[in-house]
Amino acid sequence: MKKPLLIGAILLYATAFAASLAIRASTPEGQTASDVSRLMSARVHEVIPVRSTSDIVKALEKARRNNLKIAISGARHSQGGQTFYPDAIVLDMKKYNRILNIDRANRTIRVQSGATWDDVQEAINPYGLAIRVMQSSNIFTIGGSISANAHGRDPREGPLIDTIDSFRLMRADGNVIQVSRTENAEWFPLVIGGYGLFGVVLDADIRLTADEMLEERTLKMGVERFPEYFAENVRDNPAVGLTIARLSTAPASFLKEMYVTNYVKATAPLPDNPPKLKEERAVELTKFLFGLSRKCDWGKNVSWTLQKRIFASENGTILSRNNAMRPEIEFLEYRDVQRTDLLQEYFILVNRFVPFIEGLGKIVRGSGLNLVNITVRYVPANTDATLSYAKEDSFALVLLFNHRRDSRGISQLERATQDMVDLALQQRGSYYLTYQLFPTPEQLNAAYPGAESFFQLKKKLDPDLLFMNEFYARYAP
Amino acid sequence: MTPINVMSPSMKWMILSQSAMTFGAGVVFPFYLIFIKEIGGDFTEFGIAYGLFTLFSAFLNRLFGASSDRYGRKVFLVIGAWGTAFLFLLFPIATSIWQVYAFQIVLGAFGAMQKTCEKALIADMTEGGRRGELIGRYHFGVSLFSGAAVMAGGVLVDFFTLDLIFYIGSVVLFVGGLMLVRVKEGAV
Repeated sequence: MKKPLLIGAILLYATAFAASLAIRASTPEGQTASDVSRLMSARVHEVIPVRSTSDIVKALEKARRNNLKIAISGARHSQGGQTFYPDAIVLDMKKYNRILNIDRANRTIRVQSGATWDDVQEAINPYGLAIRVMQSSNIFTIGGSISANAHGRDPREGPLIDTIDSFRLMRADGNVIQVSRTENAEWFPLVIGGYGLFGVVLDADIRLTADEMLEERTLKMGVERFPEYFAENVRDNPAVGLTIARLSTAPASFLKEMYVTNYVKATAPLPDNPPKLKEERAVELTKFLFGLSRKCDWGKNVSWTLQKRIFASENGTILSRNNAMRPEIEFLEYRDVQRTDLLQEYFILVNRFVPFIEGLGKIVRGSGLNLVNITVRYVPANTDATLSYAKEDSFALVLLFNHRRDSRGISQLERATQDMVDLALQQRGSYYLTYQLFPTPEQLNAAYPGAESFFQLKKKLDPDLLFMNEFYARYAP
Repeated sequence: MTPINVMSPSMKWMILSQSAMTFGAGVVFPFYLIFIKEIGGDFTEFGIAYGLFTLFSAFLNRLFGASSDRYGRKVFLVIGAWGTAFLFLLFPIATSIWQVYAFQIVLGAFGAMQKTCEKALIADMTEGGRRGELIGRYHFGVSLFSGAAVMAGGVLVDFFTLDLIFYIGSVVLFVGGLMLVRVKEGAV
């Protein structure tokens, strides 16, 4: 074959390859709404990508005119249909993401609700500012985080509601109100942690903190020692900026060993030119390792041993608070059609941690669930939101399961979840509403004493139930 | 003429290229069912898609067989490999089962080119006495890659995404087509 012809063929192929990738990347998910767990989905009326406030006004008008419901979605990482409802109009808020104002003197930011924590970090990093409270990953939207009243890894910060000064809310009637602890105050505890049932959060004023340099320190300990260690060395130790612990799910040390990673204030001050934000790296490798531990016991053992090495190599790393608050998450993306990764979270009083872990071990073994990963954070008591999860100082245990998506697998998981919720309730704890809808209405009411008034006020403030999702449909009396 | 116990460079390139092509296709095909399921189909639709491929392939085998006598085998093998490589790029962006049916029909055509012309070319490249041995060696190489492909495909689908196997399969097929350039027709 002639050379030019060959080069032409290669170029043509490369172009087609690039085009395919580009189209693949920009294809919307279609009109079936789901979330990252793909456990539930619903055929929705349409998904409207929101770019401006008028897009929301029009969508609300359309819904009222055609008697449709409105559901609101951000990063779609909730796992119980909080972001969709059958035949509803879904507002996809991700493009409604402008940073409106940064007040350096007062350390606050005003940001549209579709912006992610990543967007906020990009905007505030040059000014030496950092986020007070956010989830461990920065991919979530502000609106979604407000709706779930998320919490984070700073042991001195409560849930997100603590750092929200005010926000603008578009109500079901299309009117926009300013909501704070003093203005339209009745809406404040309902919208934060209210899963989008009271209106569309347009933008929010969020309090920030100073960025600082932290030093990563990881140590290993037995599970039974953790509560005491935490009380003595972390909770009342102002030097600890962030903290997170991981429990072993490897058979050799199942729920017996743990790693505690503290980010301790470093002696070096933040440089005048704050460190650049790091981007995700080596995602495919982490993804592979994570895949191994999903797969089998051997993989879990290997992964646990490898983590030991990784932590040892990262011990002493000095990084800014902003960079410590952008851990890798892309490796969690999981696309097996028959199985799914499911998250659950339980809030357990500090002194009930050990009995809870013992009970949890029994349930997991007895039900044959594939528990891949458990991380532990700390949330101080806060009851500001109507649906508050940490009524006393608690450890927050995030459990990652890898499970079959078929109906038998799901009912197995449902039973085990109800057992785990019972266990948490026995230990005066609660569970997080952002995940599956497995707990019974009775369990919801036991864990959330404010639930009854939450649903009553929903009916009062949105009498036509314009804002609707699967969570409401499952639990509203 | 090449001594009988030494394989001609053309034969080596032919084995390499066809191994790559089996690999490229093998990495995808066993997992095709999962793809159909993802796109919203069921076993019936999988059956239809696979049947369409085979049926079209069946009719076109005759046409391409005869044409390759006239125009040469290599050109059809190259078109088959590159055509499949291009088509694999379309799967990740397919959104409905009808598109998949259409791809399958075209794939059937490329498959017919590959199957018939591969056999004919191998026959051209071997002769009488040692033909069986050479074809045995040829199939040994090609089957080895086919087995490896299925295993690799399984791991890739498990740990990464389904789309990835189409992209990897596509690249391998394209390279397999490139290798054919080194094959001289009629060289024994």
